[in-house]
Amino acid sequence: MRRFVAMLVLGLALSASTGAQAYHRFWAGCNTEAPTFMTTMTRDAAQDYANAARYEGYQWGGGCWNYDDVDSYPNDPPSEVGTHGEGGDCSGLTFKTWRESTDTTRDGRYYWRALRNVHGPYDAAAFRAGSGAPNHTVAKSTAGVMDAFASNTHIGMVFTRSLYGGDQIVEAKCEACGTNIFYRTYRSDSAYGGVGRWGWTG
Amino acid sequence: MRRSSIRSLAGGAAGITAGVIGGIALTSVSAAGPTRHADTAAFIDAAHVPPALTLGGEPLRLRYAIVCPPRDDGLACDGAGSVYLRAGTSGPFTEYPLNRGEDSADGRYFVDVPRGIAGAREGFSYYAVLRDERTGASVTVPSGGADAPQRSRPLKRPALVRLGSHVFGNVREPSARVAFAHWGSGPADVGLAGTRDLGFTGPSSFDVEQDGTADILDSVNERVLRWSAAGRSESVPLGEPAELADLAAADDGGFDVLEPQGVLKHFRRDGARQWSQKLSDRTWAKLARGRSGPVVLEQPSEEWMPVAADGAPLTRAEQAHAAHAARGLANGHELLVDRIGASELRVAELHDGAQLHSWRITSETPLGEVQLAESRGNGIVVVTHVYTDARDEFEVLLLQGGGLASRFAVASSSWTETAPLARFRLARGALYRLRTTPEGAFVDRFDLEVPQ
Repeated sequence: MRRFVAMLVLGLALSASTGAQAYHRFWAGCNTEAPTFMTTMTRDAAQDYANAARYEGYQWGGGCWNYDDVDSYPNDPPSEVGTHGEGGDCSGLTFKTWRESTDTTRDGRYYWRALRNVHGPYDAAAFRAGSGAPNHTVAKSTAGVMDAFASNTHIGMVFTRSLYGGDQIVEAKCEACGTNIFYRTYRSDSAYGGVGRWGWTG
Repeated sequence: MRRSSIRSLAGGAAGITAGVIGGIALTSVSAAGPTRHADTAAFIDAAHVPPALTLGGEPLRLRYAIVCPPRDDGLACDGAGSVYLRAGTSGPFTEYPLNRGEDSADGRYFVDVPRGIAGAREGFSYYAVLRDERTGASVTVPSGGADAPQRSRPLKRPALVRLGSHVFGNVREPSARVAFAHWGSGPADVGLAGTRDLGFTGPSSFDVEQDGTADILDSVNERVLRWSAAGRSESVPLGEPAELADLAAADDGGFDVLEPQGVLKHFRRDGARQWSQKLSDRTWAKLARGRSGPVVLEQPSEEWMPVAADGAPLTRAEQAHAAHAARGLANGHELLVDRIGASELRVAELHDGAQLHSWRITSETPLGEVQLAESRGNGIVVVTHVYTDARDEFEVLLLQGGGLASRFAVASSSWTETAPLARFRLARGALYRLRTTPEGAFVDRFDLEVPQ
């Protein structure tokens, strides 16, 4: 028993070290609760939702965050879903903001709460191609609020257009820069295409 | 004895396993924490695109998006507020309550500017106070409120410039290459990070000093690379990463670096950080040199804000209250820029608030962002982005009072991403462009010849 207690203490100490914290951390507090079906789905409610994810970080393959305005685990190695840090990645944030379904044949309209850990079936390239029942491509010059610009590696949603012709884009950008609203010129960049979500109600 | 030893080892193993699992679980739960919707009562944000340059006499509707914490019922913010308007730039503001529309594509909340104010000879000025009815939180747009209101001016006898349909592939080659570095981490290299799957980042901005020295922000290698006009290069270590940051050379020989999260850092000539200051607003578009220090185009205010004056940083409130819709030019005038719809650009040059020249530029090919708008002699140089869904190039316009003096196209492709409006600089009468390829990064110069 004494050995058990001694090793228990050692284990707790190890778990607090950087190495042990490198994986499986934030996601342990996320959940798998069912989304709520909504009949209404407005662009400004989507602005509210995406805006609240600002400062909550970036996680490759992620889709779970809280609302404390702090990235609990910044600067994880990129491209590693196993780091299980806080935040969505670019396509995960878009999927949840656009209230999509994990079934690509369905329209969705599912309200996913922040701590519901879901990324969705689409990566940036799939969004760019307009894949999935709720999604479609749009001419970039017509893209408006809560439409998006997607390349083969990234997607960001239009928060609003801007005076000098660029756009304020809400996006999960990278581990170092997190999730925020940045001024971007994706609209005129030929690496990016315009994409939208069907079914906005206002 | 043997049985006791096995039990002891098993107990120890079980203990360490339980400890690690328990510790990770405790850490994770603590890190994730509860959803804090109810605790973020004070949070509110906004979006608004001001009609900076109008055609005069046209009906004007000011639209706002009010952005609140997400509601549990999934509906939009229950917002409200008022716009405070006045004709011209002096006198009291009059309050006009916002209406709530059915559609939020351009901002759900709006007010129609009364004809007497919208049609005022010198335009009008205004600000808005927006609030979340659920929490009582409020925000003022622009941040400086009545002290630094937004301005809307009618274009006065604008020169009409019709660009027509852009012909892609007819780009001008640069006059000279003033800086080049291969990818790498050596003393003369410029850093590259990322992968083909993630996208690449490299030098995120550059500037050209009055003596012709070209400075590249080597974001990955945490330094500034400098090439003198004579071609000598040197490296100034900054000691911190600057991914997607903007750069402006300062008058004291140092550098201003604007980070993506909205912190401006001033570095001395030797790379030592002298001070840092948070921006007033949440988002920035461009860092530039103003008459007495760095200025930043910020959102949601959509105004140029000074971040320092005479070498000392300004507080966030000081920045907001000293903001201007127009940008100060090197020739002592001011410039207003307004991109309208998909393919129109309006530009006005002012002096002491009076309009000297204005241009209404239309294009059959969509126009993207305005990368640069600066004075050169008695004209204005504008670099804008023309695009279709498949192609894009930059269009350089040399404007004079009577209209378009000359124009040419410049290739836009670049291998890495930069700060949003950091691809061009105007210095010593020439246009400079930052570009990257699989071989490295370089700065090219385009000499500008304006017919007299």
